[in-house]
Order: sequence, then structure tokens, then C-alpha cells
Amino acid sequence: MSTRWALALSVAAVALLASLPVWLESPYALHIFILIFIAVATGSSWNVIGGFAGQYSVGHAAYYGVGAYGAFILLQQKQLAPWFGVWIAVALSVAIALIIGSITFRLRGPYFVLASIAVAEIVRLTALNWKGLTNGAEGILANDLPALKLGSTLITDWNGKTPYYYMGLLMAVFCVLVNLAIKHSKLGYYLQAIREDQDAAHSLGIPLAFYKNAALAISAALTALAGSFAALYIGFIEPQGVFGIDVSIQLVLICIIGGVGTVLGPVVGAVVLVLLSEALRANLLAHGLFKLGLPETSGIGRFLGENLAHAHVLIYGLLVIVVILFMPDGILGFASARLRRRRAR
Amino acid sequence: MMAAPTAALLEVRKVSRFFGGVKANLDVSFEVHAGLVLGLIGPNGAGKTTLFNCIAGFFPPSSGEIRFDGKRVDGLSPDRICKLGMARTWQKVRPLAKLTVLDNAVVGALCRTGSVKVARDLAHEQLRVVGLDKSASQLAGGLSIGDRKKLELARVLATQPRLLLLDEVMGGLNARESEELIDLILALKQRGLTQVVIEHDMKAIVRTSDRIVVLSSGEKLAEGAPAEVVNDPLVIAAYLGQSEGAKA
Repeated sequence: MSTRWALALSVAAVALLASLPVWLESPYALHIFILIFIAVATGSSWNVIGGFAGQYSVGHAAYYGVGAYGAFILLQQKQLAPWFGVWIAVALSVAIALIIGSITFRLRGPYFVLASIAVAEIVRLTALNWKGLTNGAEGILANDLPALKLGSTLITDWNGKTPYYYMGLLMAVFCVLVNLAIKHSKLGYYLQAIREDQDAAHSLGIPLAFYKNAALAISAALTALAGSFAALYIGFIEPQGVFGIDVSIQLVLICIIGGVGTVLGPVVGAVVLVLLSEALRANLLAHGLFKLGLPETSGIGRFLGENLAHAHVLIYGLLVIVVILFMPDGILGFASARLRRRRAR
Repeated sequence: MMAAPTAALLEVRKVSRFFGGVKANLDVSFEVHAGLVLGLIGPNGAGKTTLFNCIAGFFPPSSGEIRFDGKRVDGLSPDRICKLGMARTWQKVRPLAKLTVLDNAVVGALCRTGSVKVARDLAHEQLRVVGLDKSASQLAGGLSIGDRKKLELARVLATQPRLLLLDEVMGGLNARESEELIDLILALKQRGLTQVVIEHDMKAIVRTSDRIVVLSSGEKLAEGAPAEVVNDPLVIAAYLGQSEGAKA
């Protein structure tokens, strides 16, 4: 019953989202949605290895960056359209994932986390210094995308935000569906067993290295896909922006805030984090206080109006700490525990 | 028939295991015949669990051979050994805490099938065997110690083993729960399942075992039928902790 409801609700939500560009004309609103789609896709990608398998990789920027740079370089230097180039980038990132996995999965717990950070840093420094390929710290500005055609019918020429909106929606839905499929498969059971207790899992006939690597490969492929889409949407990449540790941490945060190891957790986390960071950047907090009657010209009003926006990263950090402290299972875990308690009453 | 009743399903030959300079097992040899229950006893630190870890593949023996169904298995990984049909439980139970009781058993059952649906049926069946079917939808982390031990059993049974290695399944249980587990071990034996049982409780081991191996300080001290072993002065001395001099 409840799964049927969830299914109906999800289909309705996706249908609503698909109809959105028809009646929502604000490019800024579409932009926010595209950012959310990217966050949903990347968060769901990380969730496969971090959430289901419990292997907290803080080096996913490596796959994100390889996806971004792969699609970009193939477009710039080989004139290969991204919808072909992406798959090469995805394959490359899976290959890198398997190399990284075979090294780092020998380690458990915090050692694995540290190793994942180290490997991502190596990839970032390589991108920074391999100037012939990546243009170094200056980064690459994307060419205009070639028109996407199916046979002779033009599908889109990438004008405006709407085509990116639909691409992003498609990608986000795909990543969530992959999570759903994994959760109900043998792979999902095995990954969760590995997360809960590696030795117990091993003794129940689960080849640990194989399943961890499989999860990492899937996760890396999806991350690369999302990374290349994000890069093409933004139109510019540089090493720090796509290979930096903040990218890796962002993916982890999306899942922790929303609910690790659940299918909808990354969706909730993505919506909350994107809206939060946009609201803080637009200084909605100060504007809200003005609306509530704080005089804009008073000393404190002027101070907040000028400085609160600059402190958005700080406030973001504080809010994240609050969520982690009071909702250790994420927003979704917190809400479902509340719901269960109310039902029990 | 898989094996004649006299064939040894598990053969442990001169197995030793050292940790650095510390000897955990030295030249331990015994056989377990198909369909029988072997009790493995010995005082704390006798090397029972180390021996289990060697047999189940958690680390290779430093020397010696382990054969399962005639095939060398020492040095194989735990998952391979489980696939071959030898499954172990843990002295300190290891429930998959955030999964339900049913899903714990499903993980075990998936050892023999790729289908979650088939695995779920198998898991339900094993939960019924140990008497946990009523708690199927509960989280494993919330179970009492007695139920956790039963879950541990249901989970390994779901892997459809031919040989079960039980590491102190009765440790920490009250009399009634121990009684249930003794009945369970006997019922499994009735079904022809070969078992190696580590246990501290002498009464339990005497009731369940066909044969008993006694370990002390890593070495085999005695082996025989339960009645012989419990009356062996060497064994009594080892259990009461007499000095080496008094033993000799």
C-alpha cells in the first residue's frame, strides 16, 4: 500500500517537473531546478558506494572532474559532441575507479576515507599540471554545443535553459532509478551487508572486493555523467572547480543531510542544500529581517545587509552542523522516525 | 548419497597458527564425519576460535592442511569457503543491525541464488526453523541476545551449508534459551547436518556431541566419546587449571 502510494506520488512529481518549463518562464527558477537536478544526480551517485556499501569516499571529485574534463576536451579538441563524448568520459572514470578501488579497498574505515581523498588530490594535481591537455589553472571555456539531432529532426539547439532543464531532469531521475533498482537487488543486499559488518558479510559468502568495486564503478559512472552535464551547463571548468575537495564533500553532505543509504535521501538533501545555499547567497536572511521590521538604514540593518551575504558559507556550515547533530539519520530518517512514533501513539 | 557415513567431511591435519611469536594452535589434527556433531572444548584461550578462523578462511594456518569433502581449503577466502558449503557463526554475534531480521537471513540465502524473491522464501523458512519468524520485520539491532544468536543461526542456515561451525551459540543465554538451542542443534543433526560446536557449557556439549576434541594451550589434549573425555584426568586438570607439574 505505502509503496504504491510512493510510486504514484513519484510519478506525479516527475510529471509536474516535466511540465514546469511550459508555464514557468523565469530563467532563474529554471537555473535553480537545474542545480537541484545536478545535486540529486551526484548525491544519488555517491549514495551507491557511500550509502549502500558504507564506504565513505571523499574523493568523488576525481570521477566528477574526469567526466567534466573528458566531455569538454573531446568537444574542444576532437569536435566530438558531448552525448558521444560523455560515454568515453564515463568509461574512463570507471577505469580510474577500478584502479582506485583495487588500491583503497584494502583499507577500512578512516583509512579508506583518507586514501580516497589522497587519490582525488593526485588526480586534481595532474589536471592542474598537465597543461597541454587541460589548459592548467586557466581552465577551459566550452564551445557552443552542436545541435542535437535524431536523424534529420532537430531535437534541440541548446538555446536557453529549457533543454538543459530536461537533460538534467532525465539524468536525476535516471540516477534515482538506479538507486531504487540496486536497493531491491542482490547487489543492494550485499552492499548493505558489507556496510553493516564486513566480516559477517564475508562469512556469508560475499566476495567483499568484487562487490565494493562493482558499487564504486557504478557510482563513478553516474558521477562522471553528472559531472560532464554540470560542466557543459556552466560552460567553464578549471581544476579546483571540478576536482577540488569541496566537490567531494558536497556529494557526501547531500546524502548525510538527506539520509544516507535511502533512495530518496539524496533527493531531499539536494533540494535542501541547493535552496539553502542559493537563499544565503541572495541574502534572503537579511531581506527577511527587513520585511519583519528591522530598519534597513539602522546600524545593525546596514551591517547585516552588507555582510550576511558574505558569510553565507559560514551560515551554511553552521546549519549543516545543526542538522548532523540533531538528525543523525538525515532529514528523511528524522521525519520517518517521527512518523513512526506518531503512528505508534 | 553424497558421502558414505564413514567418510570425513572435514579433515584438519597438523594445523598450527602463530601470531608473531605467540602460538595459538600447534599441530592440531582431527576429523569430522558426515552427519555427526563434533564438540570442541577447552579453557579460555585454548585456541578454539583461532582454529575456527583458520577453518573458515579468516586467516590461513601457519602450517598444516585443512580439507573439506576431500578438497584442500586452507588459504581460501571466507566467501569461497561459504560457497563450498562450510558456514560459521560468531561467538560475538554480528547482526546486520540496520537491516530487518528477514533481510539478514535474505543476505545469507543469496549465497545460493541471484533472485531476491527466492532468497526471501528461503529466509522465511530458516527463520521458522529457529523460531524467529514472528520478528521477521523487526530491525536486527533491536533483538535480545538470545534472539540474536538464533538470527545468527538462521542466517548461516540460509546459506545452505553442509557443515556448520558454531562458535559458542549458547554463550550468554539463560537456561531456557540454551535448552532451545540444544534442541535445535539436535534437530539439525537429525536432518543430517554435520556440525562442529564450540561450547563452554559441558552439559550442552555432552548432550549434543558424538565426539569431543579438547584443546588446551593451542594443542589437542584429548579426543574421544563424550563420556570418556569428561572423565579424562588430563581434561579435568586442564579445566580446573592445575599446574603443569600436577598434570604430569
